[in-house]
Amino acid sequence: MKEKSSAIMIGIIVLAAFIIPFTLLKGVEKWYGSFLFWLILTLIVIVCNTMLTKDWSNEE
Amino acid sequence: MNVSLIWWGLGIYIAVSVFIAFLSRTGKQTNMGAYFLGDRKMGGFVSALSYSATTYSAFMLVGLAGLTYRGGVGALGFELIYLMGVSLIAFFGPRFWIVGKKYGYITPSEMIGDRYQSKAVAIAIAISNCLFLIPYSAVQLAGVGYLLQGVSNQQISFSTGVIIAVILAIVFAYIAGMRSVAWTDSLQSLFMIIGSTLVVLFLIHELGGFTGFFQQLETSHPEMLAVPGNGYFSFLTFIGLTIPWFFFSISNPQVSQRLFMPASLKSMRHMLLGFMIFGLIYTFVSIFWGYSAFLLEPGLDNPDLATPVVLSSSAIPPVLAVIVMVGIIAAAVSTIDSILLTLSSMFAKDVYGNIRKNTTDRVQLKIGKFIIPVIALLAYLFAELQLDLIAVLSVASSAGLIVVVPAIIGAFFWKRGTAAAVLASTIIPGALVLILELLQAKPFGLASGLWGLILSILLFIFVSLFTNAPTQKANEFIDYIKKNLQNKK
Repeated sequence: MKEKSSAIMIGIIVLAAFIIPFTLLKGVEKWYGSFLFWLILTLIVIVCNTMLTKDWSNEE
Repeated sequence: MNVSLIWWGLGIYIAVSVFIAFLSRTGKQTNMGAYFLGDRKMGGFVSALSYSATTYSAFMLVGLAGLTYRGGVGALGFELIYLMGVSLIAFFGPRFWIVGKKYGYITPSEMIGDRYQSKAVAIAIAISNCLFLIPYSAVQLAGVGYLLQGVSNQQISFSTGVIIAVILAIVFAYIAGMRSVAWTDSLQSLFMIIGSTLVVLFLIHELGGFTGFFQQLETSHPEMLAVPGNGYFSFLTFIGLTIPWFFFSISNPQVSQRLFMPASLKSMRHMLLGFMIFGLIYTFVSIFWGYSAFLLEPGLDNPDLATPVVLSSSAIPPVLAVIVMVGIIAAAVSTIDSILLTLSSMFAKDVYGNIRKNTTDRVQLKIGKFIIPVIALLAYLFAELQLDLIAVLSVASSAGLIVVVPAIIGAFFWKRGTAAAVLASTIIPGALVLILELLQAKPFGLASGLWGLILSILLFIFVSLFTNAPTQKANEFIDYIKKNLQNKK
């Protein structure tokens, strides 16, 4: 994954993490509301980081 | 809680970690790089655990649990957005690492000073970091004091707790510099995560398993599962809290200095991913801890007391409570020792090294080692004084350190940035943050960190446009990174 595309993707996820819970999920007072939403976004970000750093070398 | 049980728990923790600190003493640390950066040869696994222990302080199981108790799921969002912000390492980490090796940088402030070709920049950033991080350490020390005092029902005094924590932090930092910090951090991170995870699983089981747990929340306190929920996490409060922490991994020197240390980029990758997984688990543990406290002991006036109250309640068997208590103390000590080491290296390299002419590496190392207990003593005195101002500075630390962010981003991505702009964009917004925190003012509802960041960005750009950039250095620095980023990957 290229740096620029990862930066855009992570940027969009972070924006969603700020906006969606305060708008769409505002009234969902369940475990599958903001609680699950933030967890899923974090997992996606971890996957993005895994892909972005895949080729980092062993060279000292 | 039974006092002899507390002493047993503390005794085992101290004995094992001091033993590990002595074990780490291999090889001679006769230069700054060896002592403060572990010779730039840190492996991925130890780096990940040590990074975790340094980042996560007593704040998690006390402060974050308290925030959950007070405002519900917004605390989870705040902490997870911080964790997402750690992705900044994937972008800035290799850049720090490449120039760190080329120019031999020991501290982040040294790097910024050299990049903008200004000693004043290095000195100003080093001093402002001390100004915010010594009080932050003092509050961590005080946290240990209050915790021991609370769980022992006043039988262990506040001062005893503070003194134990400060001595441990000095020992771990002093014995072998970064090596002993990294090794003891790794052990302490395991104390932190294994103990607290087991206890939280026990608590959830007691409260009816995950299903029963969420059912209780959904039926009796549904507002705890949404934002703004009970109103505590208004959108402005949320972003005021979250944005300064988002940049923590590059703005806080005790963690950004870690970007110079991994043996290879592959080790850095393991550090980053290992930390993210650790962070995700520890965040959930702290949030569930806060929710459990809320279900078990609702109605406390001061949410920061939620943790000591639950620890000393009958809900948790005493042995488990001692395990969590040791985990919280380990979290505080492992944060303080890293801060001690980082601030000492900054003082020796950036303040002393720039003010005294022609100092050698050996002399700077001597000064650095001498200053470790001095900074610890300052933090200790601040903790004992329990001044309101110290608490203010500590709360302001993430907001106060964020003002360096434009200068750091500029160092890697904007050749036009100038030294005058760095000075203006750190000193003036830093002072503004302090004033706003002292006055407890939130103009237009925005927190101090946001004002600091906005002003810092504006000043950095505008002052840069009207002053001369160190063009030659900027070209050399940024072009060298560009060339090597492709080779190293």
